Amino acid sequence: MTEQSDLTVDGDLVRALAVLLDETGLSEIEYAQGDRRIRVVRNAPSMPAVTVSMPPPTAAAGAPVAGAEPAGAVKAPMVGTAYLAPQPGAPRFVNVGDHVREGQPLLVIEAMKVMNQIQAPRTSHVKEILVADGTPVEFGQVLMVLE
Amino acid sequence: MFDKVLIANRGEIALRIHRACREMGIRTVAVHSTADANAMHVRLADESVCIGPASVRESYLNIPAILSAAAITGADAIHPGLGFLAENAEFAQIVGEHDLVFIGPSPDHIRLMGDKVAAKRTAKELGIPVVPGGEAVTELDQARQEAERVGYPILIKAAAGGGGRGMRVARDRGQLDTVFSIAQAEAQTFFGNGALYLERFLAKPRHIEVQILGDGQGGVVHLGERDCSLQRKHQKLLEETPSPGLNASERQRICDLAATTMRKLGYKSAGTLEFLHEDGQFFFIEMNTRLQVEHPISEMVTGLDIVREQIRIAAGAALGYRQDDIIFSGHAIECRINAEHPDTFAPSPGTIQRYHAPGGMGVRIDSALYQGYIVPPHYDSLVAKLIVHGSGRNECLMRLRRALEEFVISGIETTIPLHQQIMASNAFLNGDYDVGWFERTFDRTS
Repeated sequence: MTEQSDLTVDGDLVRALAVLLDETGLSEIEYAQGDRRIRVVRNAPSMPAVTVSMPPPTAAAGAPVAGAEPAGAVKAPMVGTAYLAPQPGAPRFVNVGDHVREGQPLLVIEAMKVMNQIQAPRTSHVKEILVADGTPVEFGQVLMVLE
Repeated sequence: MFDKVLIANRGEIALRIHRACREMGIRTVAVHSTADANAMHVRLADESVCIGPASVRESYLNIPAILSAAAITGADAIHPGLGFLAENAEFAQIVGEHDLVFIGPSPDHIRLMGDKVAAKRTAKELGIPVVPGGEAVTELDQARQEAERVGYPILIKAAAGGGGRGMRVARDRGQLDTVFSIAQAEAQTFFGNGALYLERFLAKPRHIEVQILGDGQGGVVHLGERDCSLQRKHQKLLEETPSPGLNASERQRICDLAATTMRKLGYKSAGTLEFLHEDGQFFFIEMNTRLQVEHPISEMVTGLDIVREQIRIAAGAALGYRQDDIIFSGHAIECRINAEHPDTFAPSPGTIQRYHAPGGMGVRIDSALYQGYIVPPHYDSLVAKLIVHGSGRNECLMRLRRALEEFVISGIETTIPLHQQIMASNAFLNGDYDVGWFERTFDRTS
């Protein structure tokens, strides 16, 4: 490396560090030799140099916001219509606050005229009921939260 | 006309169908696996329903889940796309039995052409020339006799197969003996049916296919032929129309034959008859009773929207035009861009870091990619189709080379560099290639 005075900027070094930033995806590189130190930082947020082709997000029907799934979530194993009572007018299978035993029916999902019981995976309490009676549900949708 | 169509597919073809529906004022329902929750067509569709986990069997092949999704959304028709359930006659049947319209041909025609042995027999009866061979064989002795009759070299194919999969060559009796039981096992694995048939193996044929549209009311037209000879392991990489390997009279002959026979059959919806062409002769190999990946090139030269026509036909409309009304104009080429390493073809799923599609005159991109999209590992690797149209083949080639230069897809490996190499090869530029050309020239892994 050639001798440089303290006030001369080593352009090659800066360029090399900038290339290194891009290649490694790092946001900051600091290089020191003796008491000479140079730091190259990527501007945040980085502006994409190309057109961002993001489609407008469209809300999916009946799907809850995909956030962190609560522990104890009971998810729909199939597509269909959720019913909270065994028949119209009958008392609901469970209510919020109820104690449930493992295997106890929580709700049914009707798919193609067949009623499928969704059972409690373990003995617990019903913390939340997240679907309304008679509404469509999709695979993986959180139906209830148990604790 | 339908009020709401459920799209039973994924990726770029699902987006294609969504677009056709939107342009007709039809609402769309996108069914998807958990892995496709952020797919572009899912985001754009009017409604979406998650139908299962990532596995294809539990989602895109899950007939009860798809029908259930149609029921809860009140869809009146289902477009099956291509692959998956598109050529599943049982699915087409069940859809009909549930008071839904299946956007495609009748279950009987799907069944007829799905059995490749029956399809060849039907073709023969309709007067279409076929590759010598075609009788089903289940025992090695039978196979030996059939092979002697047909003449070596022979190609062993699965009777329930298709899509270029599960085929093996035997150049003599010794090879046949070795390969026969393997071929049976593969047929069983891929297609659930170990039945095989043999065909004469052609040395350097071109793959020529004809696009058909029928309305089920006697109206049938062809939309010209496509040359799909650029293949690797029987998978198409690039397609073009018109074929540089045919003269005008050959083209006329095969397209007219395809349309005439489909008229005799009373075929409804879109379909493609596939042929091998060698020494001036055409040999029927199979018919695909569905939309094909490469349909856009036929759209570019005819100005017809094939998916729109499928939907119109399924809703009961007559074609409304005759063969003479279709004007063929210019030349079109499509490059299939896969999420694969351009030399090793190793799959390359992952997050798209940068995406910039080419534009300009005569350039069309059919792709569901966007910046930040995660290409899932569970499905096939096609991520984009680059289609160019020009007034002639040379203009197309210049345009294609230009468009490939502009195309940016980073974060994953793609076969864009491979297409650039193809564009630089004299044989391709001269239109002088057969179905084995690509592998002989490029593929060091085969």
